[in-house]
Amino acid sequence: MSELQRLREAFRTALDLPADAPVDDLRYQDNEKWDSLAHMSLVATIEDEFSVMIDTDDVINMSSFQEAISILGKYGINFNE
Amino acid sequence: MNLFHPGARVVDAATGETLTEQTIAAAAAVLAEEPGGVVFLPIETTIASIARYLAALRLGRPVVLLDPDGDHSDLVERFSTTEVHPDLAILLTTSGSTGNPKLVRLSASAVETNADQIAQVLDITADSVAITTLPLFYSYGMSVLNSHLLRGATVVLERTGIMQRDFWAAAVEHNVTSMAFVPSQYEMLRRLRFDPAKYPSLRNLTQAGGRLRAELVTDFAERMAKVGGRLYVMYGQTEAAPRMTTLPPGRLAEKLGSVGLALPGSHFTIEDDEVVFHGPNVMMGYADTAADLAKGDEQGGVLRTGDLGRLDDEGFLFITGRIKRMAKVFGVRINLDDVEKNFPVTAVAGDDKLEVFAVGVSDDDARSLRTKIAEWLGTHFTGVNVRTVDALPLLPNGKIDYRALESSL
Repeated sequence: MSELQRLREAFRTALDLPADAPVDDLRYQDNEKWDSLAHMSLVATIEDEFSVMIDTDDVINMSSFQEAISILGKYGINFNE
Repeated sequence: MNLFHPGARVVDAATGETLTEQTIAAAAAVLAEEPGGVVFLPIETTIASIARYLAALRLGRPVVLLDPDGDHSDLVERFSTTEVHPDLAILLTTSGSTGNPKLVRLSASAVETNADQIAQVLDITADSVAITTLPLFYSYGMSVLNSHLLRGATVVLERTGIMQRDFWAAAVEHNVTSMAFVPSQYEMLRRLRFDPAKYPSLRNLTQAGGRLRAELVTDFAERMAKVGGRLYVMYGQTEAAPRMTTLPPGRLAEKLGSVGLALPGSHFTIEDDEVVFHGPNVMMGYADTAADLAKGDEQGGVLRTGDLGRLDDEGFLFITGRIKRMAKVFGVRINLDDVEKNFPVTAVAGDDKLEVFAVGVSDDDARSLRTKIAEWLGTHFTGVNVRTVDALPLLPNGKIDYRALESSL
């Protein structure tokens, strides 16, 4: 599975979305399931999936799927396909 | 009842909009044009919602505070009436199923008295600045608003929550002095490596909405003490409008595990191990039907809490368990037997989660059960965990061994 697919899966798992749900344009609070509680589970899921420890500032800045891609780039995870 | 004391400020962090006497008067004028009786208010964290709430209280119209994201058409149908008791001010839904919720009937004097008791023990003054961290239809969130407005303090309206930068930026910009959190939020704050030194105006954290584990109580009390601030551990129930105790921060270390002392003017007794609260802030009673809204006080200032507990020789309360099988999820009580009656599962209380065991179901079924149970409870899906098991552990008498299930978590 590509890194991008893994991130999409992490979002679907953490936000309790169906397996085929599009997630690339998701933004915090736009989707009713992505609130502060789901955010906590999202961060934990991403940390497990990519074996990283995300800094506080990055946790509170991760306000969209695209933002997550750019933040994870700082941790050496490359999403270019 | 007028909760909007002179000097009180409500400001929307995102829009800069503020609440004024004129806003409330305009909301009252709109309300006066509408049919009388109960006001159903899906209350958002906005100036407009709060204006309508305060207007209803001023007009003496009982107001039901509802989750703005929910569908309440059944509830509105069940409780619509113009025959209401003159003392009735606020109605809140109880925990449990969304199918048939009861309402808690709070009088104006109970609400006002409790707001004042809270303001006293938390030392809320005109200089205090709170920020919204909880929904306003939830009794803890409502009481933060009420107790600050009553003292002419400021309430900052913030909607994104503690996992987003906007929240912390608003806390700095508006010099917030106090934040209120439930246990799940303390877990988040720990994850965020919350450092109160970054928010120099922050003086107080308060905690209610279920038991916070002792390790986190100590941890956050120490974080706050380092910057000259305090952590207030509190205990309440919606039925008590809602606060019953606070633990004085100076006694926290020696009384670790206690929820503190009864609020001024109230006290506890322990009857057959059950915690019974006596105070002026106890509800008038429950309502199952519209006709119940015409009833007067049925409680006489006495509330059987359903919690088991003990008092020490100084009157500090320690909660030791519950009479009914209950879970508390995100601060909301859930009757475990009700869950089992409505779903083919076995339910136990986890750590701020409802944990259910389903025998021999597929992953897909487990996922759909989770969604259905969370919807039925009106709780967030992350508060429900479904575990698939091949068989349930049984006691020698053939009953389900709940202890074994709890210890398997």
